[in-house]
Amino acid sequence: MTIAAETDPSPAFHTIRLSKVYGDGPTAVHALRDVDLDVAQGELIVLLGPSGSGKSTLLNILGGLDRASSGEVWFHQTALNAMRERALTDFRRRHIGFIFQFYNLIPSLTARENVDLVREIAEDPLSAEEALDLVGLAERMDHFPAQLSGGEQQRVAVARAIAKRPAVLLCDEPTGALDLKTGVRVLEALVEINKRYRSTTLIVTHNADVARLGERVIHFSDGRIRTIETNAVRAPPSELKW
Amino acid sequence: MVKLIARPLDRKLLRDVWRMRIHAAAVALVLGCGLSVYIMSVGMRASLERTRADYYADYRMMHLAASLVRAPDRVAADLERIPEVAAIETRISGYALLDVPQIVEPASARLISLPLGGRPRINDLAMVRGRWPDPAKADEAIVSEAFATALDIRIGANLAATIHGRRHVLTIVGIANSPEFVFVSAPGELFPQPERFGVVWMGRTALARAFDMSGAFNDAIFRLSPGADDQRVRSAIDEVLRAFGSSGAYGRDRMMSDRFLSEEIKQLTTMAIFLPAFFLVIAAFLVNIALGRVIATERSNIGLLKAFGYSDLAVAWHYAKSALMFGLIGASLGSIAGVVLGRAIADIYRDYYHFPTLAFSAGLLTFAGAWAAAIVAVSIGAIFSVWRAVRLAPAEALAPPRPAVYSRSSGMLARFAARLDAKSRIILRRIQRFPRRAATTIIGIALAIALLVVAGAFPAVMTQLLSVHFSVANRQDVTLSFVAPREIGVMHAVAHLPGVISAEPFRADDVVLRHGRLEVREAVLGLPFNARLSRLIGSDGQAVEPPVAGIALARALAAKLHAGPGDEIEIEQVSGRRVQARIRVSAIVDPMVGSSAYMNIEDLGRLFREPGRISGAHLSLDPARYAAFNAQLKETPALAGASFLRQAERSMRRAFDEGVGVMNYLYIAFAAVMAGGVAFSAARVTMAEQERDLATLRVLGFTRGEASYVLVGELFVLALLAVPLGCVLGTVLGIWLMRLFQTDMYSFTFIFNPGGYAFAIAFTLACVAIASFIVRLGIDRLDMVGVLKARD
Ligand SMILES: Nc1ncnc2c1ncn2[C@@H]1O[C@H](COP(=O)(O)OP(=O)(O)OP(=O)(O)O)[C@@H](O)[C@H]1O
Ligand SMILES: [Mg+2]
Repeated sequence: MTIAAETDPSPAFHTIRLSKVYGDGPTAVHALRDVDLDVAQGELIVLLGPSGSGKSTLLNILGGLDRASSGEVWFHQTALNAMRERALTDFRRRHIGFIFQFYNLIPSLTARENVDLVREIAEDPLSAEEALDLVGLAERMDHFPAQLSGGEQQRVAVARAIAKRPAVLLCDEPTGALDLKTGVRVLEALVEINKRYRSTTLIVTHNADVARLGERVIHFSDGRIRTIETNAVRAPPSELKW
Repeated sequence: MVKLIARPLDRKLLRDVWRMRIHAAAVALVLGCGLSVYIMSVGMRASLERTRADYYADYRMMHLAASLVRAPDRVAADLERIPEVAAIETRISGYALLDVPQIVEPASARLISLPLGGRPRINDLAMVRGRWPDPAKADEAIVSEAFATALDIRIGANLAATIHGRRHVLTIVGIANSPEFVFVSAPGELFPQPERFGVVWMGRTALARAFDMSGAFNDAIFRLSPGADDQRVRSAIDEVLRAFGSSGAYGRDRMMSDRFLSEEIKQLTTMAIFLPAFFLVIAAFLVNIALGRVIATERSNIGLLKAFGYSDLAVAWHYAKSALMFGLIGASLGSIAGVVLGRAIADIYRDYYHFPTLAFSAGLLTFAGAWAAAIVAVSIGAIFSVWRAVRLAPAEALAPPRPAVYSRSSGMLARFAARLDAKSRIILRRIQRFPRRAATTIIGIALAIALLVVAGAFPAVMTQLLSVHFSVANRQDVTLSFVAPREIGVMHAVAHLPGVISAEPFRADDVVLRHGRLEVREAVLGLPFNARLSRLIGSDGQAVEPPVAGIALARALAAKLHAGPGDEIEIEQVSGRRVQARIRVSAIVDPMVGSSAYMNIEDLGRLFREPGRISGAHLSLDPARYAAFNAQLKETPALAGASFLRQAERSMRRAFDEGVGVMNYLYIAFAAVMAGGVAFSAARVTMAEQERDLATLRVLGFTRGEASYVLVGELFVLALLAVPLGCVLGTVLGIWLMRLFQTDMYSFTFIFNPGGYAFAIAFTLACVAIASFIVRLGIDRLDMVGVLKARD
């Protein structure tokens, strides 16, 4: 499927009037309002916007973790909004790599074992060594999360996400808890993977400078897409400032 | 101080208890089970003791009794003069064969004379219906209530009795109970067969005439003054009565009815301690798990409280209160259930023990004891968790908990871990990382298995006892006992009774056995070699021959005498010639029922200088001629009794089913509560701790089933580890309990019953499965997005 997705010329994601409402009546919160978006296969997009503007909500719906209240989400030829729970799980399993602000590693497994965890359910995964090598952690493979720094843990999370060579990488503030140097290393890994495996990559960030990495930058506010910029020249992660 | 500052926390307390409701329910149910048994057995025991004491006092139950061959009435005056004897009554007592048309087999009765001058001064009767016999009318009689009920004998009915070889027709004028016969079983029978054996009271003159005992008596009963020296009075009585063929005065410990009551009270005591203790321990464990969990999740709250200046004591008290709340709920449940159980058990007791009234009532002290035990148990459970909360420094508590540092296994475990998939490795590492918690769960589940193993052992032991006693040891259909020993030649006549297929003689003597300073009164039985019907049982549960020389002792008897094979013991007849002799113990045998001594019949006859004399015969019958045999039996006056083995088996089985059987269902229900309680608590805690990991697994694309594997797998690994422990624990407890329940009447030996173990294991695992299945449903409701937003 990964291979098929790579060769499929249709947009990786296509949303039509996508909305998400929490609660109802006067207290209802509109996290997303009629979002129409196309994301091309292999594209690297950065999402910016104030807190509470709906970035995470969008990412979660695209990744099949959450459901829209109305509208459609398409992943290539499949409508995610029509899928049952079981199919969504399968969708995540086959196509999506997640990276979160708080790493979400399994504390009882070593770095290598955390990567192995997803390799066990992936079709044609990288070896754990390759994946950890890509994020520069080959030497710390047998350490438990509690024995790693925050940045190292986030790189393990990246390795875990890329090990199955996912069609899509969804990163929600992957550098939110990191300093410049470690943040740069994490972003370098993401850019490298996007290049090497043409994984469609969406990165949510509060750091406007990180936007220079993306092919396109989407500005969010109040549940809507305000503007979409296209970067003529993309900066390498090493040039970013914090 | 504590009270003042605790107030704003009280609402939080209720919320906490509600939040921990699964734990609360588990603790309360487990406590409730334990305490209900406690209240039932302590209450029932107290009710029995009180009822017995009142009954004995109100109806002046005898302290001592002596039966003799015949003594003239004037001897009564000598007995009366014995110091410390408060009252004496002489009686005529004997046995009669009854012809009861409703039943095929002959029934028999114990006959007891009523004093000439009105009501008995000792062993007075509690009249249920009717009146006292008119001394002028020889045929008037009172019968015992159970017998009257079983045969539907009404006032005014006639009863045909063969007394001393002569046929009498009695008119029943009264129905009564007596403190002497609270528990009634025929001589030689363990359990009541109320339709085949009763007590009949008649006027002294009438009975004297029937037994040719005018101006004489053959039974004396005594009440002692308070503080009397039982032993001294007995010797004095024996001094007076020895010349009249007394077999020795004896106390309540050798009166069948009182002895059964005492055994019952003893068993209730055992029950009051064993099961409740078991459940209290589990409850303490569960409280520890639940509070440990709450305190772990409330670290920052604790930090805040302490930062705001709440004292350690106030914080400790706050958390201890929820544990106490669990305890109080459990104690209330247990109190209610205890009374319900107590009433149910009193219903069963009323069938066996004939008091004028027997009601279950548990005293305030019993309830107080139960509540105190509940509070102690939950407090012990709480103390360790609460201590941790109190110890937390405010700053430390406010900081996020240090992450659990996992470590890689080493050695064998590492090699094992390396071969596992990542999900199984999570399970393994968590167990390794939290060994105390894992141990708690294992012990809880093991205790549930142990309880079921014990519960399963009881019916197996009963079945074993019944099958050895009735299929290996005693294969006769009926045992006849003669009124007095007869020449062996009588066997010829016995063998010619209708329907008799084979017949074997036996001899039985009441003796005193002495070894060193130890002395036991028992029966010695003489059996023929190569017996096919009634046989001795060796330690392997198989039949063995009677000793070629010397005497064989039942294991319980040998233990009482501290005698083993090779030891020489002294044996003395208590009646007849009172022959005394020394004899060597040649073997220890294991009869399931009774604890007699055994010799071969020739040796026994020679020992007591009555060679060729026998006491009775065991017969096997042709079923087709059963009625003819019984018809003949009803007309055979020289018989003291006939014991029908199938009926004895039935009454024994009924007693076991009612006593042990009911308890057994209770055990199983309780074990289910225990297994379920432990499994639920463990599953809840595991779920709470793993919530984040489980959500992560779901986000990564693991299905619900795969995520459940981590949750359910952990529980099952612990449950499987608990299996061997539970089996061992159950076996040890079973052996210990069997020993506690052992009496002179039957010896239980724990038997390894694979079916019982299989059931215990399967049942407990099923409880764990159900608990984990229900908790597993939580995985379906996991808020993946929510969990990922939070820092760990
Ligand atoms: N479970 C929920 N229930 C109710 N409202 C919610 C829930 N989750 C999110 N919201 C609301 O939806 C809106 C969008 O939230 P979202 O998490 O997508 O914002 P965000 O852009 O990711 O913000 P941040 O940059 O702070 O992470 C917010 O107003 C938030 O309060
Ligand atoms: Mg967000």
